[in-house]
This record gives sequence, C-alpha cells and structure tokens, in this order.
Amino acid sequence: MSKNIESREDIESQMRAALRPVAPRQAFSRELLARVMLEARPQSRPRFFAAARVRPLAWWLTASVAACLVLAVGVHQHLQQQRLQQSGLEARREVMKALHVTSEKLNLAYEAVKSQSTSLEDEESGA
Amino acid sequence: MNDAAADPLDEQLAKARSGERAALGALVQAHQRSVYSLALRMLGTRDLAEDLTQEVFMQLNANLRSIDSNRHLRFWLRQVTSNRAIDQLRRRARLPLTSLEEISQQFSSEDRADPLLQRHMQALLAELSPPARAVLLLRYQEDLDPPEIARTLDMPLNTVKSHLKRSLESMREKAAGMLPARCEDRSS
Repeated sequence: MSKNIESREDIESQMRAALRPVAPRQAFSRELLARVMLEARPQSRPRFFAAARVRPLAWWLTASVAACLVLAVGVHQHLQQQRLQQSGLEARREVMKALHVTSEKLNLAYEAVKSQSTSLEDEESGA
Repeated sequence: MNDAAADPLDEQLAKARSGERAALGALVQAHQRSVYSLALRMLGTRDLAEDLTQEVFMQLNANLRSIDSNRHLRFWLRQVTSNRAIDQLRRRARLPLTSLEEISQQFSSEDRADPLLQRHMQALLAELSPPARAVLLLRYQEDLDPPEIARTLDMPLNTVKSHLKRSLESMREKAAGMLPARCEDRSS
C-alpha cells in the first residue's frame, strides 16, 4: 500500500516536472503579439450606440423622401382632377349654348312656316 | 495565493478594455506560455499549437469586454483553449503519431525539465482520450484542483475525479515499463 502511494506520488511529481509550461518560439511570440495588436481596434462605442447614432438620420432621410413623393403624387392627382372637372363644365356650357341657339332657330322656322300657311289660307278663302 | 490582493494584470486588463493596445500586448505576453503549452500538449504538434494559440487570442480580442478580471481571463483562456483543442481532436479522429525526435524539437532549450521525461510524458498523454488529457493537463500543468477543472471543462466533478484516477493508473503502469532506470534510481 505504502509502495503504491509512493509510486502514485512519484508519477504525480514526475508529471508536474514534465508538464511545466513551455515558451513558444520567439518568432511566433513576436508574430502573435503583432497580429493581436494589429487586430485590436480602439474600443470606441459599442456597435449598438454607433448604429443608434446613424439610424435616426437615415430614418428621417427615408421618411422625408417618402413624404415628398406622396405629396407630389397627391398634388399631381388633385390638379389633374381639377383640370378634368373644368373641361367637363366648359363642354357642358358649350352644349347648352348650342341647344339654345338651335331652339331659337327652330322657333324662327316654325314662325315662318306658320305665317306662310296663314297667308295661303287667306288667299284661298278670298278667291 | 490571496485572491483579495490586487493583481497588477487587472489594471492592464482595464486599459486593454478601454482600447490601449500596449496593455493588450502585456496580457498576451503574460498568458501566451500557458495557452501555448496547453495547446501543444493537447494537440501534439507545434504548428497546430501555434494556430490554436493565435485563434484563442484573436477570440479574446473580440470578447475582451465580457472579461472582468485577470482571474476571469485565466479561467476564460484555459476554458477556450481546452474546449477548442478537444473539438479539434474529436474532428480529426486521431492525430498522426509524432516521432520522439519531433517531440523533443517542440520544447525550447530554455526549458529545464528533463527532455527524456518530457518525451515520455508526451507519448503517454497522446494515448489518453481528449477530455482525459485536458483534465490531466489542467491538474498538473495549470495546477488546478478538481472542482476548478470541473468548472473549466463544464464537466461533473465525479467525472473529473474518475478521469484523474484512471489516467494516473494507466500512466503509472505504462511509465513503469518505460522508465525502469529512473524508478530504480529513485528507489535506491
């Protein structure tokens, strides 16, 4: 038993001696240091804050462009509708005027035909 | 080991978190040895260990804000390195066996540990399952106790204990065969 413990302690001490940390190659050590320091970015604000700083600007820009587009389309449609309405009213006025003139002309023709037929009847009765 | 004592690397961490590159460099220098050793002993080859070390520190760079102390950083580095190494080992069903010569080249001449012992230990480690290897490395390389290992690997405490027991038994049996001269020296 004592022999067993001794040999266990022996292997443990041998392992501690054999497994002491070893140094990497100096060239590797230099490369590693250079690489890590090159990759190290100055720790500015975390990305969330950076994004939050940029995001409102982008959001406002997009929103105002969209609002301008909607406004332009609305104004254009409104103007077009007004123009159509105006031309419709104009056409209606023209038609009414034409009907009025036609009606007057028909009345004149009727009067003429009527007076002509009355004078013919008078001539026949005189004869 | 007074946890309440101020850790000088806490200050470096705070500076690194506020974007000071030199402080981040100091953190890398302070922890690269531990991360690299863990990666090397888990994966078995220098190239893979270097790649993993680099990936871990790149990931640290991206997660620096979520780390609040040097103690937390050490825990995080061990956890990420171990889990990534276990994943890699599971993806590649088995790493190609590394020759003893290659293993000895992986340890720099500055290391004072017996190179023969290191080679034997590495060969024995390579025979363990990835989770068992991670448990053993965290215990004997990083000097963590079983509850800390359980937290690092997100593993039940009893599983950690049984990995330790079984791995030690198995390594002791194999080491007895591999290191006869050494054992004889010690017993005499």
